[in-house]
This record gives sequence, structure tokens and C-alpha cells, in this order.
Amino acid sequence: MAVNVGNDQLKTDEMIINMGPQHPATHGVLRLLLTLDGEMVRNVEPVIGHLHRAQEWQGQNRTWFQYQALIDRVDYLSGMFTSWALARAAEHIEGIKISPRAEYLRVMVSEMNRITSHLLWLGTYLIDLGAMFGFPFYPFREREKLLDLLEAVAGQRMMFNYIRIGGVQCNPPLGWFDKLKRFTEEFPDRVDEYEAIVTENPIFLKRTKGIGRLSKSVAMDYGVTGPTLRASGVNLDLRRTKPYSVYDQLKFEVPVLEGDGDTWARYTCRIREMRESNKIIKQCIEKIPGGTTEEIRKLGDEANKDENLKLMAKKQNSGLRVKAGEGFAAVESPRGTLGCYIISNGSDKAYRFKWRNPSFSNLSVLPELLVGHPIADIMAIFGSIDVILPDVDR
Amino acid sequence: MSETPASPSPANPEKAAPPTELPVGPYGQFLSEHGIPSKRLPDSTGVETIEVEPAQLEVTLKRLRNSEEIALDYLVAVSGVDNTDTFDSVYHLWSYSDPNKELVVKVRIPKASVAAEQLPEVPSVTPFWSAANWHERESYDLVGIRYVGHPYLRRILNPWDWEGYPLRRDYKQPVDSLNDKNPHSFR
Repeated sequence: MAVNVGNDQLKTDEMIINMGPQHPATHGVLRLLLTLDGEMVRNVEPVIGHLHRAQEWQGQNRTWFQYQALIDRVDYLSGMFTSWALARAAEHIEGIKISPRAEYLRVMVSEMNRITSHLLWLGTYLIDLGAMFGFPFYPFREREKLLDLLEAVAGQRMMFNYIRIGGVQCNPPLGWFDKLKRFTEEFPDRVDEYEAIVTENPIFLKRTKGIGRLSKSVAMDYGVTGPTLRASGVNLDLRRTKPYSVYDQLKFEVPVLEGDGDTWARYTCRIREMRESNKIIKQCIEKIPGGTTEEIRKLGDEANKDENLKLMAKKQNSGLRVKAGEGFAAVESPRGTLGCYIISNGSDKAYRFKWRNPSFSNLSVLPELLVGHPIADIMAIFGSIDVILPDVDR
Repeated sequence: MSETPASPSPANPEKAAPPTELPVGPYGQFLSEHGIPSKRLPDSTGVETIEVEPAQLEVTLKRLRNSEEIALDYLVAVSGVDNTDTFDSVYHLWSYSDPNKELVVKVRIPKASVAAEQLPEVPSVTPFWSAANWHERESYDLVGIRYVGHPYLRRILNPWDWEGYPLRRDYKQPVDSLNDKNPHSFR
């Protein structure tokens, strides 16, 4: 991209500028200290912490019951996963077993959440690349449908508090399964629609092909996870490699791309993941023990007595406690390995919480990706690793 | 899972004494074969947990990461913990090649050995894993553990001029910061 002015002896001074913290394309508050040589980026230092809300401190100073509701805010686009990581870690310590119906419900709502998260990423990423008009509304149309369904089951669009320690909060309302089924039938066509507009688009290809290459070894060195890692050719998806919940009973593929892991590969990986998530939801609707809510209602009192259909294995009230012990549990969130490390001392508050957030590790690789690219590519690359800043800063 | 012995619970000192002799686990066995002493701690929900001396940390992690049979090459997280009488730095290790391998390595610095106004010191593992870079900065920022040899040990989540270490048990919140009448108030 460097313009040759015909004088190779021309010297330019390096310039240090701030990008952000208030930059519309950073999806939150991120400050990048850029060292520029003309148009080219020579060094980057991400400065984070502008959205630090002391989530770990809050966890140690709130009761378990209060903290469960708070934790969806860590990653506001995939609240189900943060709740799930917390619940799994606590259940490990307690040694509780969750009923199959609750596990299936967890998988369903989480995969729905994964699709909404990827859809939002798709829309905003195209805005980052300059497709300001029109396109972002297509993914947001499907996202709203899913959010309506999630709202129907959890009572809130994005801060669900649906997955609790010991199970899930409630059965979905009447008619929910039918609506979801209709959605899963039409969704693949909608993904085809996005792909028709974007995937082979020459402008899109020019902006993304070969840009922001992330090699396998660098990605593993930095602990990068999620679609960003799989686009670089490493097969690490906890749903497959360390199957938790009922993922071992479901058929789906984990898209892993061979090659150099450029921006385009990360896009492709996420698009394929949405299709796989859709398949998972479809299977869950068929396989879920007890069937739809209508069928559960018909069972009446029988459903409450059946161990397979019980939704909650722990009383949900302000006296909620977790046994003394320590545990680490991780789930595969839309951004990667989301881990929760809990040390509990048996009181109503945890002794120590530590969150291993995927965005935190994924963002730390950014300097490796940006150096040597022109300033116009910064947002194309930054957008492609799909970082949520509240997830970084906690 | 429920059979796992409970780990030392910091608030109940009478329960904190772990069984004196725990059998050496497979990873501890491997390390002792290579001349690295380690101490087995109660399992963390079914995952082997060992404690090593701070001076041995680098050689331990290097050995675990580079040996072909163990290959614990994925550093998931580094956590700082303020326990009742120790500062812990906890390393969760996984393997990219074998998903069933897991290990928790702990380094414990007794509080009594840390001089007043000084920070507990643990060697940095950033030279082995760039992933440790930000995690160690976070642990320094929140718990106040100094990682010796870290290339850029600076506060990461809090402002650079923040005082104190918020996740320490004796941390006092700057109450005045929320007072409207204070000219330095955050409001």
C-alpha cells in the first residue's frame, strides 16, 4: 500500500497516535496505542480496562444467588455461556448431576445464543468493512427472531439468568418448540442469503483474503481459542474434544480450516458454525426427554416426579450455598474457551472467582496480527477476531 | 466427583489441614523421575494438583510442556489467589494433542516470608507462553504478585496509578471515591 514517491532516501518520523477509547468500530471501549510509519502500523499496544467492573471482586462480595444473575453481564452477547461455566464449576464442586431434560434445554438455548452472537458479529463486521447500508439488517432480522424466543423462555432478551446452579430455571412456554422448529427449518436458507451477498463479493474478498494471517504456532502460544483458532487449523472445540453435557450424543461437525488463518477464514468458520448450531438445535428438539412443553403439561404431576424431567436439582433462594472445594470448568462459548475457576469455602459467598475469558486471550494476540498492515486494515482484522470488550475487562 | 477430598478451605482453619500423606500422582511421579520435587495437594474436582517451589516453577513447566509423553502445552489460565496464610499462583495446564490430560500447578508463597511493603515474588512463565503475559499482569494488578522476569509488568485492568490490590482480603475500598463532595470523586 506504500506510495512510492520516487525518492527512496525520503525519511519519515514515526508517529504515535491513540485509536480509541471512543471509537465506533471497537464495539466497546478499547484504546490502541499505535506507532505508525506513514500508513503502516509498526507497533501496537492495546490498553484495556476501561470497562472494568470488578466482576471477580463482586463475586466474592455477593451471595451465590445474587452473583448468578450478575454474571450474564460479563459477555452480554452470550450470557448463557457465562452462566453455564459458572454453573458447571459449582456443580463439579457439589457433585450434582443434572437431569437429561435440563441438559438438553441448556444445549438448545446455548446454541441459539451462539447463533445470535455470530449473527450480530456478521452484521457489525460488515459495517466495519464499510458495508454501511442494507446488509446488516439481514442478520439482525434472524437475530431478533431468536432473541424473541430466548426472551420467551428466560424473560429477558440478553441478560438471561436462565441456566442456574443445579439446572435451568423453567420449561419454555407453550408453543415455543413449534416456533423454534419453524426457525430451524428456514434458517439455512437465510444463511445462504448472507453468503450470496458476502462470501464471493469482490470487495469483501479484497478486504479479507490474506489479511491478518495468524499462524498455528502463534495462535497456540497466545492461548487463542474459538473460531479464531480453528480458522488457523487447530482442532480445539471443547464440545468435541472434552465433550460436556449431552454433546457426545449429538451429531455435528466442527469446522476446522486448513491454511494460513486469515480474516476470510475466520469469517468462513463462523458461517459454518452457525449452520452446525442450527443442526444441533434441530436434533435437540427431536431428542429432548419429555418432548415439548405441551407434552410435559399433559403428564401433570408425573413430570415432577420423574428424575429425567426434573429441571432443578438445587433450591434457588438466597440461601444457595456451594460446598467447600475448588473447581475449574470450561465451556465452548462463541468466542472460545470460557473457563471459570472457583474456590469455595462453603459459605454463602465464594472465596475466589477467576474468569478465563476467551476475548481476553484472543485480544492479546492483536499486536502480532496488526504489525505490518496499513491503518485501514486495523478494523478488518480487529473485527475478525470477534472480541467483546466487557468480556475482556470484566 | 463427590468423593474428591475438599481442598483447604481458607475460612475454616480446622478443615484446612489436608491429609498429611497423599499418594504421588502420575504427573508428580513423572516430575520426580526427572529430579523435580513436587507435593501433591488435594485434587481440584478430579484433576491432579501439585505444588512446586517457586525456584522450581520454570523447570517444571518447561519439562511438562516439552516432554513428548506429557505435552501439557496449553496454558489455560494463570490465577492469583490470596489465601489465608499464603499467596498462590495457580496454573491450569491442558494439552492440545490429548484432551484428557489436565494438571493444576500451584506455587505458594507464605505470607510470613513476605516483608512489609514488599510483594510476593514468583518467576514469570511469559518466556514459555505468551498467553501468560496478560494473565500475569492481571494477577499482579488484582492480587499483587510480582512476576519476576515479566517483560512488561504493569497494571492491566485498573488505572495505572491505582493504589492497592483489590482482590486481597485486606483491601480497603476507597470509600471517598464515591462521595460527591470529594473533588476527586469518580462521579
